[in-house]
Amino acid sequence: MTGEQILVVEDNEKNMKLFRDVLVATGFRTLEATTGGEAIDIASEHMPDLVLMDIQLPDLDGVEALHRLRADARTATIPVLALTAQAMRGDRERFLAEGFDGYVSKPVNVREFLGTVREHCQGRVG
Amino acid sequence: MVEEQESRVAREGRRRIGDPFVRAIARLPVNVRTKLLVAFVGTSLLLVAVGLLGQVVLGRSNDRVASVRPLQKRAVEYSQLQAQARYLRNVLTVNVATDFNTVWPDVAPPQIRGKYSLAVDLFAVDAARRIGASTAAGQLLFTPPREDQKMLDVITSKADELSRLLVERIIPLYGDRTTISNESEEMRPHRAHAEGLASDLHQEASRLANRTTDEINRLIARNASSFESSRVLFIGVAAGALVLALLLGLVLSWSMIGPIQRIDNRLAAIASGDFSGTVEVENRDELGALGANVNRMNDELRRLYTELEEASRHKSEFLANMSHELRTPLNAIIGFSQVLRDEMVGSVNEKQAEYLDDIISSGNHLLSLINDVLDLSKVEAGQVELEVRPFSLREALERGVVMVRERATEEGVRVAFAADPEVDVVDGDERRIKQVIFNLLSNAVKFTPAGGEVDVSATRANGEVRVAVADTGPGIAPEDWDRIFEEFQQSETGVGHREGTGLGLALSKRYVELHGGRIWLESELGHGSTFTFALPAGSSTS
Repeated sequence: MTGEQILVVEDNEKNMKLFRDVLVATGFRTLEATTGGEAIDIASEHMPDLVLMDIQLPDLDGVEALHRLRADARTATIPVLALTAQAMRGDRERFLAEGFDGYVSKPVNVREFLGTVREHCQGRVG
Repeated sequence: MVEEQESRVAREGRRRIGDPFVRAIARLPVNVRTKLLVAFVGTSLLLVAVGLLGQVVLGRSNDRVASVRPLQKRAVEYSQLQAQARYLRNVLTVNVATDFNTVWPDVAPPQIRGKYSLAVDLFAVDAARRIGASTAAGQLLFTPPREDQKMLDVITSKADELSRLLVERIIPLYGDRTTISNESEEMRPHRAHAEGLASDLHQEASRLANRTTDEINRLIARNASSFESSRVLFIGVAAGALVLALLLGLVLSWSMIGPIQRIDNRLAAIASGDFSGTVEVENRDELGALGANVNRMNDELRRLYTELEEASRHKSEFLANMSHELRTPLNAIIGFSQVLRDEMVGSVNEKQAEYLDDIISSGNHLLSLINDVLDLSKVEAGQVELEVRPFSLREALERGVVMVRERATEEGVRVAFAADPEVDVVDGDERRIKQVIFNLLSNAVKFTPAGGEVDVSATRANGEVRVAVADTGPGIAPEDWDRIFEEFQQSETGVGHREGTGLGLALSKRYVELHGGRIWLESELGHGSTFTFALPAGSSTS
C-alpha cells in the first residue's frame, strides 16, 4: 500500500479514534494532532498529503492554523479540509472563503467522508 | 418626511418654551387644575370689574344729568323774576310823564291821563312788592347758592325801596282824586329815581338769570366731556381686560400644549422603537410628572430592549454552541455505527445490523431535530434573511415529488403531480421553499396508508401562486387546525407516528409568512387533509 499520509487535527479523543481507524482501515497512513500549534509543527515536519482540520481547537483555531500553513512556503500547497461541527447555514461558504479546499460537517457520513478524502488525495497525486 | 415634521414640531415647541411668560407659567409649582381655576376666576373677576366700572360710569353720568335739574328749576324761577323785573321797568318807563304825553299828546284830557298814570303807578307798587316778597329770604322753593343770595338780597332791597318810593313820594303827589295830574314838576326827580331803581332791578334779575343759564351750559358741556372720557375709559378697560384674558389664556394653553406636543413626539418615537431621546418638560405640574414618567418609561423600555437584545445574542451564541456540542458526540455515535454496519472491522449478524441501522437512523433524526430547532430559533430571533431570487417553482415541486416517490412507492402510496402551465418562475428563497415543499410532501406520504394517494397541484390566480398537497390520510379535527402549526404539536390522529421532529410545519409556516404568503389546512376526519400555501406571484411571470 502506497498509503497517502493524512494529518488529522482533532481534539476530541473519540472522534480522533473514528477518523484514524476509518482512514487506516481503508489504507491511509495517519498523523495526529490535537491542537493547532501541534498541527503546524507536524505538517511542516512530515509534509502530509492532506490535512483534515477541526475548527474549534484548544489553542489557535482551525482557520488560524490554515493561514499559518498557507503562510509557510513548504506547507502552502498541502490541501486542507475543514472537518467541523460548525454546520449552521452559511458555515460551509464561510470556511471555503477562508481558503479551505473542502468542507466536511460533523457528524460525518463515513462513506461520503472517505469519498471526499480520496477525491482530494487524488487531486494532489494527479 | 416624518423626521422633517418632527423637527418642525420640536422647533416650534422650543420656540414656545423660549417665551419667558410661557416658561414662567410652566414652572409655577401649581397643578393644572389650580392654574385653570385661577385663569377662569381671573377672567371672571376681570369681567366683574369691567361690569362694575360700567355701573360706576353710568351712575356718574346719571348723577350729572340729575345735577342739572335743580339748576334748571332755578333758571326757570330766575327767568320769571327777570320777566317781572322787565315788565316793571317797562311799566315805569311808560309812565314817565313826558313819554306819556308824547304818546298821547292831545287825545286825552289831563284828568284822564292823570288817572291812568296813577293806576300804572299803583300797579307798579304791587309788582315791586311781589318781586320783593318772592325774593325775600326763605320765600324761594330752593336754597339759592351764596352768590345768588347776595344778588337776591340786592333785588329784594331795591324792590322794597322802589315800592316805598312809589307809595311814599310819588303817589301822594297825585293829590285829590278829582284833580289828578301827572304833570307835576315835583314828581319828575322821584320818577327818574324810580325808573333807575326798576332798571337796576331788571339788570340784577337779568344777571342772575344769565349767570344760571351760563352755569347750566357749562355743566352740560362738562357732562358731555366727562361722559366722553368715561366712555373712553370704559372701552379702554374692557379692551384691556379682553386682551389680558386672551393673553393669559394663550400663555396658559401654550404652557400646556408645548409639553403635550413634546411628550406626544417622544411617545411616537418610542412607539417606533427609538429609545434614544428624552423629553424635556419644565412644568412643575401634572404635565411635568407625565414628562418625567414618559422619560422613566423610556429608560425602562430601553433597558429592557437592551436586555432583550443581549438575551437574543446570548441565545444565538448558545444555540450555535449547542449545535456544535451535540454534533461532536453524534459524530462518534453515527460514525462508529457506520463503521460497524459496513463491516469495516469484522462481520455483524442480522440482528446486530438491524440495531446498528436503528442507531444510525435515530442519530440522523436527532441531527435533523438539531437543525430544525436552530432554524426555528433563528426565525424567531428575526435573524433569518431570505435569499430572494427568481426560481422555478415547478422544478422545485417536481424535485420534491421525486424525493418522496421512492418511499411512497415502498409504502404503496401513489403520488400525483399537476401544475397549471402558468406556474413556473416565482421570487423567493429557493432553499426554504423547497424545505416547505419537502416537509408537506413527506408529511402527506407519512400519514397516508397503503393504497392511498397524495395529490400535488399548483395553480396561479389573483396575483398569487398556490400549492396544495392533498392526502387520503386520517384527516385532522378542526380543533387541531391551528395547533398543528405550533412547535412539537401533533393532531390526535397523528399521535403514534413518532417520526419527524415536530417542527416541520412550524418552520414551514414561518418560512411562508416570511415570504409574505400564508399556509392553511382543510381537512375532514376520515377523508384526508389538504395543506395549501400561497406565495405572492410578484413580477416574475413565466
